[in-house]
Amino acid sequence: MPRPKRKAAVPTRSSDADSSARPEPKKPRGNQFNRIDQLFESYVNKTLGLIDPEGIEALCNDVNVNHTDVRMLIFAWKMKAEKQGYFSKDEWRRGLKCLGADTRPKLKKAIEGLDKELKVPECFEDFYSYAFQYCLTEEKQRSVDIETICELLNIVLKSEFPNQVNLLVEYLKVGKQLFKLIYVQNDYRALNMDQWRSFYRFFKEVDFHDLENYDSSQAWTVIIDNFVEWLKEKEKN
Amino acid sequence: MSSQKKRTFQIEAFKHRVVVDPKYAEKTWKVLEHAIHEIYNHNASGLSFEELYSHSPLPLDGVWNTLFRIHQFMPWCKNSEVAWNAYNMVLHKFGEKLYSGLVTTMTSHLKEISQSIESAQGEIFLEELNRKWIDHNKALQMIRDILMYMDRTFIPSSHKTPVHELGLNLWRDVVIHSSKTQARLRDTLLELVLRERNGEVINRGLMRNIIKMLMDLGLSVYQEDFEKHFLSVSANFYCLESQKFIETCDCGDYLKKAERRLNEEIERVSHYLDPRSEIKITNVVEKEMIDSHMHTLVHMENSGLVNMLVDDKYEDLGRMYSLFRRVPTGLTVVKDVMTAFVRDTGKQLVMDPERLRDPVDFVQRLLDLKDKYDKIINMSFTNDKTFQNALNSSFEHFINLNARSPEFISLFVDDKLRRGLKGVGEEDVEIVLDKVMMLFRYLQEKDVFEKYYKQHLAKRLLSGKTISDDAERSLIVKLKTECGYQFTSKLEGMFTDMKTSYDTMQGFYASQSDVGDSPSLVVHVLTTGSWPTQPSPQCNLPSELLGVCEKFRAYYLGTHNGRRLSWQTNMGTADLKATFGKGQKHELNVSTYQMCVLMLFNNADRLTCKEIEQATGIPLLDLKRCLQSLACVKGKNVLRKEPMSKDIAEDDTFFFNDKFTSKFFKVKIGTVVAQRESEPENLETRQRVEEDRKPQIEAAIVRIMKSRRTLDHNNIVAEVTKQLQSRFLPNPVVIKKRIESLIEREFLERDRVDRKLYRYLA
Repeated sequence: MPRPKRKAAVPTRSSDADSSARPEPKKPRGNQFNRIDQLFESYVNKTLGLIDPEGIEALCNDVNVNHTDVRMLIFAWKMKAEKQGYFSKDEWRRGLKCLGADTRPKLKKAIEGLDKELKVPECFEDFYSYAFQYCLTEEKQRSVDIETICELLNIVLKSEFPNQVNLLVEYLKVGKQLFKLIYVQNDYRALNMDQWRSFYRFFKEVDFHDLENYDSSQAWTVIIDNFVEWLKEKEKN
Repeated sequence: MSSQKKRTFQIEAFKHRVVVDPKYAEKTWKVLEHAIHEIYNHNASGLSFEELYSHSPLPLDGVWNTLFRIHQFMPWCKNSEVAWNAYNMVLHKFGEKLYSGLVTTMTSHLKEISQSIESAQGEIFLEELNRKWIDHNKALQMIRDILMYMDRTFIPSSHKTPVHELGLNLWRDVVIHSSKTQARLRDTLLELVLRERNGEVINRGLMRNIIKMLMDLGLSVYQEDFEKHFLSVSANFYCLESQKFIETCDCGDYLKKAERRLNEEIERVSHYLDPRSEIKITNVVEKEMIDSHMHTLVHMENSGLVNMLVDDKYEDLGRMYSLFRRVPTGLTVVKDVMTAFVRDTGKQLVMDPERLRDPVDFVQRLLDLKDKYDKIINMSFTNDKTFQNALNSSFEHFINLNARSPEFISLFVDDKLRRGLKGVGEEDVEIVLDKVMMLFRYLQEKDVFEKYYKQHLAKRLLSGKTISDDAERSLIVKLKTECGYQFTSKLEGMFTDMKTSYDTMQGFYASQSDVGDSPSLVVHVLTTGSWPTQPSPQCNLPSELLGVCEKFRAYYLGTHNGRRLSWQTNMGTADLKATFGKGQKHELNVSTYQMCVLMLFNNADRLTCKEIEQATGIPLLDLKRCLQSLACVKGKNVLRKEPMSKDIAEDDTFFFNDKFTSKFFKVKIGTVVAQRESEPENLETRQRVEEDRKPQIEAAIVRIMKSRRTLDHNNIVAEVTKQLQSRFLPNPVVIKKRIESLIEREFLERDRVDRKLYRYLA
């Protein structure tokens, strides 16, 4: 996946603007890398050898960004963090190299400006899929529960599609309640990656004011079909 | 008039000298002119033969012919002077004079004739015209003969109209198209036709001659002077007549009248018009009488198409068919109305709540409906294939409106195989089964039928209540032919199990040395998978049975290693010997559950529903039904219930009914007969069918994607539907869900760019 060329905000000795595209960072360049490692050490859980949720909490305090803020998620994406709530040393190195930050102030500034990273559509899509992936905690897990999905929608899409997100969240929660009352074949309890992806595409491609032209034979996911039905009903009333 | 002496003719050699002299030509012409006049005046007696007929000496045969003919008709001819005269004129290139003279003379004569015709009064007009025409033809013939040499040489070379044709043209222009005659002729002819249409007898021979005259004058004359007007007047006539009929007749009568008129016109043409007019006049009649009123006729209240269909009016329907066939879209209108009506009738039938109470009657009515319309199409519509197809598609449409049709058809078959076909001959059995197959073909949800059929077949086999093994097998063969081996392999397995079980029982009893007092046991060993499985929790069998059951189990497992047996207590039957209050003995035929319940009363006088449930372990819903059948059915109430209500509550108490009586020694209380499912059961079966369909749909999707690699959504849906249509019609939404499920399990993936495209992941 192509990464946009980043203008170095900080004059950097590292010419690796593309480091996040490669799995392993290059051999450390002396001081910079050491500083990155030191930062890691300042948050790490010594027993685990990883930064754990507590460490992340501390980090958030330092950079003055809430841990539910979308920028923390973007940060995780930059790191390609695999496990939610934990950062490994490699991941940390990767992320900070990517941001070109090796001191706390630089890191703070970098994280603060992270939401600009998503301006390019390809980037956003990659991040969007990652956001879902990041919620999968178990080995063979393929779907994420509705509650988490709703939270994620709010974090990730609300700024760009506030109205749509509100409606979709409302629908998903309603569906969840209804499941108990009527026999609904749909699996509303959790959604998979394909469905998750379809939300973003749907918001991008379909105008909510023009639902008459929605064509359910167009291979939208079934949950989107049902969502549209629900929207139409809602509009009538 | 000279006497008709036979004369011998001699050809004289050409002796005359050829003289080129204008005055000679003039003189010669005068002679000819006179001759022509005389011909027209029927007064050829004053002429010599040679004056009348001129021929060159060559060719000789022409001369001989003419001489011979003249001898027949013109005995007063004397010499050949005139013949040579004409020949000379032509030879010296005075043909022009001859020809123009002929035209002038003939024209002036025709003018006279024309006037005489014009002055004819009333009826005589046509007769006079006819007579004069006949005369003209005769004269023309003679003149042509006289001038035959000119006809053969001068006329072709100078491109003039030959004599005969000239004569016809002049007749046409001078006589027929005279200002007074033209219109009068037309009007007279048309009036005669009108009178004939109104029932009068007219002079057909005269008509025929006149019409033939017009045709002889040329097709365009016939068409312009007569046919064109004939058609337009006929159109008006039939337009008015049809309007009158429509207002006064019912549909059947109208059609009869239309048919009659049509036949009349055809007959008219054959008698006195040109055959090519037939199609034109029939088109007029068809248009005015049928085409213009098609919809009015078909929808006529109390007598239209629908009424005819309802009342099986084969003759009227046949007439409608043959008449409407003649006009464009005629049959389409009939077919569409019939189709709509059949669909409507069928829809009412399948949606009527009353009908739904009795599945056998429901199906019988469907069959009757099909028979009725088959007969109509056969008797009245000449087995027209498009009508057959329309009927089939109508049936397919409404049969599938009722989701329980598959179940009902299976129940119908069950009824027939259980008792309906008792004593019926083999051929007739085949007929009934074939009709059932026909209905089966209309079903979209054949897999639902299969499910029910299996259940009902199982019950029939296990209760031994099928009237004919052959009939059962015959139907299976038909199903196999229709749906393939897969459909029927399990059904055949069921038959095999029955046979095997029989052999097993033989073996079992042979191996048991001491039967003693234990109840006699008959076991059917069913292969799981072939038989419709219903989860059957073990109920507690009465102790009297446990012994022999164990013996059987031991015997069977001894001879069949590695198998597992589980008693299907919801499917068995038992015969109990019961003695009631006054010593009356009866043999009760009951289900296994009922047996368990009844046996409890050997040791207890009263039991509540709850107590019975605990003792027997029978599931509550089944138990309630069981108790109802034992206590609440008149004539079969071997138990007494308090309170006496029909519903079973947990605290209701049951007593052995000492006072039970029945006319029969053997009393059948079993509830193992196949019957129409209750609503909850129906829902359950449907759910199971839906569940079964999911893997079939997925298998189809995978098969298709494996071979196509990439395919877009709409095409997948179409292909899947096609692959599964012999079993059921898959819901596109369900297909979509299955695709999503396959995506989740990484069998397929969605294309990154084109959301509608799927890719098979190896």
